[in-house]
Amino acid sequence: MALIQARGLSKTFKGKAAVRGLAFDVVPGSVTGFLGPNGAGKSTTMRLMLGLDNGEGVTTYDGVAYRDLKQPMRHVGSVLDAKPFHPTRKAVNHLRMLAASNAISQTRVTDVINIVGLGDVANAKPKTFSLGMGQRLGIATALLGDPGTLILDEPANGLDPQGVHWLRNMLKTLAQQGRSIFVSSHLLSEMALMADHLVVVGRGSLIASGKMSDFISTSHRNAVVIRVDQTELMVRELRARQAAVVTEPDGQLAITGMGSDAVGALAHELGVRVFALSNREATLEEAFLDATGASEEFRASMGFGAEQPAFGRPGQSASGQPGFGQGPGYGQGQPPQGYGQPPQGYGQPPQGYGQPPQGYGQPPDQGSSEPADQQQRDQR
Amino acid sequence: MTGALKYEWVRIRTIASTYWLSGIAILLNAVVCFIIALSVTASNVDDLDVGQVTTWTWTAGASAPITPVLAGVFFAVMGVMAMGHEYRYGTNKATLSAIPDRIAVLAAKVVMLSLWVVGVVAVSLLLDLGITWLFLDGPDFEAAAWRPIVNYFGYCLGFALAGFGLAAILRSQVGALVAVLVWPLVLEPIAYGILNFIGESTNAGVGKLANLLPASAGRRAMFDPYDIFAGFGALDTWGIAASVVVFWAAVLGLVLAGSALFIKRDA
Repeated sequence: MALIQARGLSKTFKGKAAVRGLAFDVVPGSVTGFLGPNGAGKSTTMRLMLGLDNGEGVTTYDGVAYRDLKQPMRHVGSVLDAKPFHPTRKAVNHLRMLAASNAISQTRVTDVINIVGLGDVANAKPKTFSLGMGQRLGIATALLGDPGTLILDEPANGLDPQGVHWLRNMLKTLAQQGRSIFVSSHLLSEMALMADHLVVVGRGSLIASGKMSDFISTSHRNAVVIRVDQTELMVRELRARQAAVVTEPDGQLAITGMGSDAVGALAHELGVRVFALSNREATLEEAFLDATGASEEFRASMGFGAEQPAFGRPGQSASGQPGFGQGPGYGQGQPPQGYGQPPQGYGQPPQGYGQPPQGYGQPPDQGSSEPADQQQRDQR
Repeated sequence: MTGALKYEWVRIRTIASTYWLSGIAILLNAVVCFIIALSVTASNVDDLDVGQVTTWTWTAGASAPITPVLAGVFFAVMGVMAMGHEYRYGTNKATLSAIPDRIAVLAAKVVMLSLWVVGVVAVSLLLDLGITWLFLDGPDFEAAAWRPIVNYFGYCLGFALAGFGLAAILRSQVGALVAVLVWPLVLEPIAYGILNFIGESTNAGVGKLANLLPASAGRRAMFDPYDIFAGFGALDTWGIAASVVVFWAAVLGLVLAGSALFIKRDA
């Protein structure tokens, strides 16, 4: 049940920094999610933590560096690749081989292969395995030494919904037993259900580290939503109190900078009739996109903003602007040569994108050619 | 180190290629040994040296320059796979997570690969001994030379370790296989021919550089008699010890270079 302490982790590839001085803790008894856009340095960080890559900094497990651990699989279990095994070596032999290196019993090999649900194919060659089965074999490898710490890189990749559900429950159970679980994933919805703590990185640098609830609370997509009969009066008075207000297409006001109690009290004070008043909490995905919006290594240069679906929730954006995510709504910067000009502003969606899915509301002011920041100024 | 040895012992025994490479090496040697035994017996040539013929048959032709040492190829492939699989299938991260001491990983691979190759060569030579005894007309094992036998062990082991070193250097199974096969079978014979030609026609000193060709040196150390090429061409062949040193210097150079890179590089 080890406390993981990473300090000053840095790695450079051919002069380009992949990881820059990362420092964070992973506490026992928790699932800590490791989030970051593609190319943010997550896998490199995990390799540094296990001493697989040469770099700067140190990671200790209850004060001991990985390379100094005696029989390390009994302390730290890890999965860094989806299919890290020879395709024709039987699954059970793959586990026996690794078990032999750390004096782990054959009984334990049988146990873990059953725990991950591969008992029926223990003597099969992994070349016949699906990606999900490969992931399960990888997880079995990590569990072999019954370690107090697990480091897993995208373990849910390739798992079917039942597999993801199983993985989530297993990791939460292992964490409840007091183990430290450090897991990276691109499945933010899954991470929201699984993790208690987060480490968020972008372009190799630490963006946030701590409890998930604290991370989400920092998102400016958290808002108080109110529907009233005197919208203009309410907007004017809220802005007079330094609150940021966005009028949503259905007439609701989304307010940041004031709590729901204060908003309710103001409505009462003004004699405004309130039809609805609630807190809107940002999702992990929204908070993540807010936090990492400027940290993407690779951005789509065509189509809608890379971090938002074609029809995001109207009236909200990472920068507090109405519209569709950061920037003018159609990707960042100039389109690549040969792709022609992007459509202006928020006109009709390009052919082939079809209608927005039900429940996403109407896109704002279709046909408007005003840039997003102009719309924001107008609404204020 | 114990953990690494146990790991490697399970690794080498739980992969099919270990068995089919070993099996083919033994089988091919037995077939060549059998063919030589029958050919010599059928030839009825009276002036053959009995000891040389016995050695030639027993070593499946390794002691004579006319017969290629086919087993060396398969041991080279086995050596390539001992390290190449780690990169080919990305198992190096799992290996180094289980055994962070990279020197222990390397040492265990070298030890287990060497023991396996020596064991297979021993089995092969025992089988060939039986074939020679059964099918060669009038073998004389007391007159047979031990030097080709000892260097046959060394030649096969050297090729396996050269394959291992090349795979560690190149981090590519295919690249290492090509290199370990093309060098002795194609490039060295060409280089040998060119140096010999230069030695004969213009500069005898340059011709002597052919002694530095490692695969040829290793092969020459098995010849019985060693100076079988004396009087042919211009090559002033170095002694047995020098040939053995040249061969093993190249092998150890590859192993050390591969090991240094394995330790230094990211997994």
